[in-house]
Amino acid sequence: MISLLPQALIDGILIGGIYITFAIGFSLAFGVMHIIDFAVGEWVMLGAFMGYYLNRWLGLDTVVFLPVVFVVFGFIGYILQPVIYKVLSGKRGNPHLMGLVFTFGLGLMFRGLGLTFFGFYSHSLKTFLSSGSFSLDLGSVFITIPTVRLAGLFYALIITFGLTYILKKTDFGIAARAVAQNRDAAGLMGVNIERISSFIYAIYVGISAMTGILIGSVFSINAQMGGKYTIMAFFVVVLAGMGYLAGVPWAAFLLGIVQAIFLIYFNPGWTLLAVFIILYVILLVSPKGLFGRGI
Amino acid sequence: MSLLEVKGINTFYGESQALWDVTFHVEKGTLVTLLGANGAGKTTTLKTICGLLKPESGEIIFSGEPIHTLPVHEIADRGITLIPEGRQLFPQMNVEENLLAGSYLKRAKKKRKENLERVYELFPVLKERRKQIAETLSGGEQQMLAIGRALMQDPQLIMFDEPSLGLAPILVQNVFSIIKDLHKRGATILLVEQNVNQAIKVADYCYVIENGRIVMEGTGAELEKDEKVREAYLGM
Ligand SMILES: Nc1ncnc2c1ncn2[C@@H]1O[C@H](COP(=O)(O)OP(=O)(O)OP(=O)(O)O)[C@@H](O)[C@H]1O
Ligand SMILES: [Mg+2]
Repeated sequence: MISLLPQALIDGILIGGIYITFAIGFSLAFGVMHIIDFAVGEWVMLGAFMGYYLNRWLGLDTVVFLPVVFVVFGFIGYILQPVIYKVLSGKRGNPHLMGLVFTFGLGLMFRGLGLTFFGFYSHSLKTFLSSGSFSLDLGSVFITIPTVRLAGLFYALIITFGLTYILKKTDFGIAARAVAQNRDAAGLMGVNIERISSFIYAIYVGISAMTGILIGSVFSINAQMGGKYTIMAFFVVVLAGMGYLAGVPWAAFLLGIVQAIFLIYFNPGWTLLAVFIILYVILLVSPKGLFGRGI
Repeated sequence: MSLLEVKGINTFYGESQALWDVTFHVEKGTLVTLLGANGAGKTTTLKTICGLLKPESGEIIFSGEPIHTLPVHEIADRGITLIPEGRQLFPQMNVEENLLAGSYLKRAKKKRKENLERVYELFPVLKERRKQIAETLSGGEQQMLAIGRALMQDPQLIMFDEPSLGLAPILVQNVFSIIKDLHKRGATILLVEQNVNQAIKVADYCYVIENGRIVMEGTGAELEKDEKVREAYLGM
């Protein structure tokens, strides 16, 4: 049994890598816009289906459509952001609660539309990466790494480093962090908060949808897949500390490894419960997440 | 024509009115101070000028144009900067990133290099601590960073909200000498202070605000002679 452990760790890192991509956008959107987007899993689902249909209609490899999906959903995010901004900056009622209700409703609506238009069957996305795999035979330990999962990890690293670069080194990134750290002061510096929010939301929605294609090629897609990714994004971000971006990769890897261990050693049905209990215990000990740096 | 004209503004927090018909003006190149007790409406006045609060009525004219309907970032672009009460730095950014954030505006970006050099010359300690995270700076260093960040904006009007608050006496002197120095170099300054003794010494002109209303104005020398001011603010 112990010989399966290296495989479990590697599987976990590969799964966790994929979580990073949409969780990091989710955390960024929370930091800048103060919104918890419960539709995150539905963005993943919609992006996956867009990849699936483009592949069926045009016959090109699904991977080719990654940038197309990013641009299309980035645009959707960009035009949706002002609506969310209106909801969140409203004077009546409790704007934050209304923001939650709004994104939750958005998610439900997307899922309903998905069921109507895409049906309830599962599909898998075909790419040239789907078939291959690497094996490592170390005598007592035998490890297999499907090419597509490795590609997923590379994709996650590219997104993570790309976003980190933008946030650290560009004026847009400094403005986005300024808004997240002190909204009023950012305005005083001349930062147009609404504009920055639109771009951040666009980037986040674009990345989440694009990740749908990766998830669809590793696992499978169906109109109801969103829920579990929403939960995972939420867990990862809470574990990392709400709004603390640098914690996201580690939290994602940790949850990925926990999940992989449950898949191999225990009943896979318990995975979410186990992840939840671990999250709960960690938050009891450190309410601001793994690193004590969240809000 | 004054650089800044505040004409009869009334500002509310929800239902409760904080400013009543506040009127004053700041000439180009002068240092004007706004004095008043806790809760008099000083911060509210500055926030209304920079657009963080919107007046219900009245006008604010800057360089001859009305600005009270513009959003905060556009008012910043016109050349007004505020060094807020409590510094309001970007706590998790380092010193240099805070300064870069200060020159975010397109017009300020053009002068980023020379302004950065100027700020480092003015505050050598900021240069030494370029890479230090803002929230780990001492109170005095944070105040210098807040001032430096505002100067990076290349402002035409610098508004200070109680810059000496919470600083040790020697640092208070330091802050006042920086303000005097900026004034000498031609900056237009609107200063809010509780440190009335010091403030009226550096100011060209003073306004006193009470319960959201301007109740008195004059030069420092005139105010010093006034019985009520001596009693209420100078403790004499
Ligand atoms: N966010 C707010 N909501 C409601 N009332 C407020 C708010 N901020 C300030 N006030 C009220 O407005 C009035 C003026 O406050 P303001 O902060 O402008 O005073 P101040 O002169 O800056 O005082 P201090 O010297 O203590 O900073 C006070 O009565 C205060 O209670
Ligand atoms: Mg105040």
